[in-house]
Amino acid sequence: MPDLSKLVLQIAVILVACRIVGTIFRKLGQPRVVGEMFAGILLGPSLLGWMAPGISAYLFPAASLGFLNALSQIGIVVFMFLVGLGINPKELKKHGHAAVLTSHVSITAPFVLAAFLSLYLYPKLSDDSVAFTSFALFMGAAMSITAFPVLARILTERDLLGSRLGTVAIACAAVDDVTGWCILAYIVVLIRSAHNPTSIWLTIGGIVAFALIMIYGVRRMLHRYETIYRERGQLSENLMALMLLLVLVSALCTEWLGIHLLFGSFLMGAIMPKEQKFVRYVLDRFETITVTLLLPLFFAFTGLRTNIGLVKGPDMWMYCGLIILVATVGKLGGSTVASWLSGMPLREAAGLGTLMNTRGLMELVILNIGLEIKVISPALFSMMVLMALFTTFMTTPILAIICPDRILREAPVRIPAQETPVATLAPADRISA
Amino acid sequence: MSRANRNFIIAYILLVGLPIVGLVGVLRKGRSLTAPISVDGVWRVQADPVQVAALPCGKTLAFTPETALAISQSGRNFTLTLVNGPKSTGSGVLDGTSLKASVVSSATWSEEAGCGNGRELSLVATVDPKTDPRSLAGMLSVNNCPSCTSVEFHAVRLAPPAKKGSH
Repeated sequence: MPDLSKLVLQIAVILVACRIVGTIFRKLGQPRVVGEMFAGILLGPSLLGWMAPGISAYLFPAASLGFLNALSQIGIVVFMFLVGLGINPKELKKHGHAAVLTSHVSITAPFVLAAFLSLYLYPKLSDDSVAFTSFALFMGAAMSITAFPVLARILTERDLLGSRLGTVAIACAAVDDVTGWCILAYIVVLIRSAHNPTSIWLTIGGIVAFALIMIYGVRRMLHRYETIYRERGQLSENLMALMLLLVLVSALCTEWLGIHLLFGSFLMGAIMPKEQKFVRYVLDRFETITVTLLLPLFFAFTGLRTNIGLVKGPDMWMYCGLIILVATVGKLGGSTVASWLSGMPLREAAGLGTLMNTRGLMELVILNIGLEIKVISPALFSMMVLMALFTTFMTTPILAIICPDRILREAPVRIPAQETPVATLAPADRISA
Repeated sequence: MSRANRNFIIAYILLVGLPIVGLVGVLRKGRSLTAPISVDGVWRVQADPVQVAALPCGKTLAFTPETALAISQSGRNFTLTLVNGPKSTGSGVLDGTSLKASVVSSATWSEEAGCGNGRELSLVATVDPKTDPRSLAGMLSVNNCPSCTSVEFHAVRLAPPAKKGSH
């Protein structure tokens, strides 16, 4: 049985820390979510556990973390559903070759550079229980991800969702996330099948069959949701509960199939109807509790797993610096070059590259999976968390320098904003900054 | 085929196709790399509890027949904690199959365990990579204590991780 009073105390401390640090970051011109991610690190062994080990041991004893983890995982399952819900593959088609090239290069460039970096890091930060292929593929997937929701939040705050830059960035980030998650699913299958007598091909076959059933079977049934919403202007509590149940069942199916719970919830969101008002309605119902209560728990749990103290000595800091450099050059550089070659003005192309370099929350989700399946070591996990924080933190100031509002407002093309609302990590845009 | 389409295909091949070929090369080359031997996991430790307790600082470990040591590895470096034991943590380095670590106890426990004067427990062991599950054999000693005798110990890893992604 969980120690309920301890759990409530933990949640209270986490919420207070996240709100305070989030507010400070807002004043620094950063999205609140960046501050909340940072607050999670402060509550972990990197700061609280280091400066006040007694308080840390009292607040977050190891035995109690299982319950905190369970709650945070439920939050991430719902959140991934919302991310999938906001992804509309049709958006990419609107922007033609430029978006296709940019999105694909923004995946391949950091992926390949990460694989090269793995040649150097594998003998230093991994061990012989991890195959090089898994290590390199994981590093590639982790470096090529873009934080779709954080990106959407930054664009919303700067009123750029309707700009050419904003719409291309959202479309590319959606492709990046879907691709990144597919690659990650393959890695998880690869690793879990090593522990499992079931053949890898049987597992992959099961996953493909499940995806086909979802896309061509369940998806059609889900259109009924949109029809009911159009007729009644709302969905009953029973229908909302059924939706949540479908998310959980889908998550369980992918877990049973040998990949992670999160793939199922993401897929369920991705196949939901994409009509604008319907998506906004569903986001409004789920976002508040997920973003204000459950996500901070995930940040805190990630922070409790992050020990910057493991990154000690000049060598380790050099590895960390290399990771940040390679991630930035691959993502920012790759996206900038591709969009510039596609005809985008250099300044806007650099702005797009900067936006694509935002990793934020999605990176933390992926890294936690990597640590869970032990494909990355605790020290590498901490370095990658630092990289996620650094690349997310740098987005807003660099974007302000490269693409001042004045220039973007003068941009000749104004494309209608993305048809599908996206999870922007600010519940229904109602919660004050 | 229009000029725009042709340019797109050329750019796509150069910026996407070629890097993927490079990726295949990297993955092939990487297969020949060797990483440090894995010691990550929980180890069941066997040592003479009387001999361990007799060591200055020996209470830091407080060995019982069920003593387990959790090792968290990051490449050549690792940290270790005593599972279900007193508040003792350590860190060490792996060199080939040799493992060296020092164990320090929390401030409150340190007094009780007689670890004053900068003493800490030192652990030197060798991993046998051929056994399944992996085993560890070595000596426990106390730093800054020439008169103290060393104690032999043996450990076996519980639930060793299989090769991850060996396909």
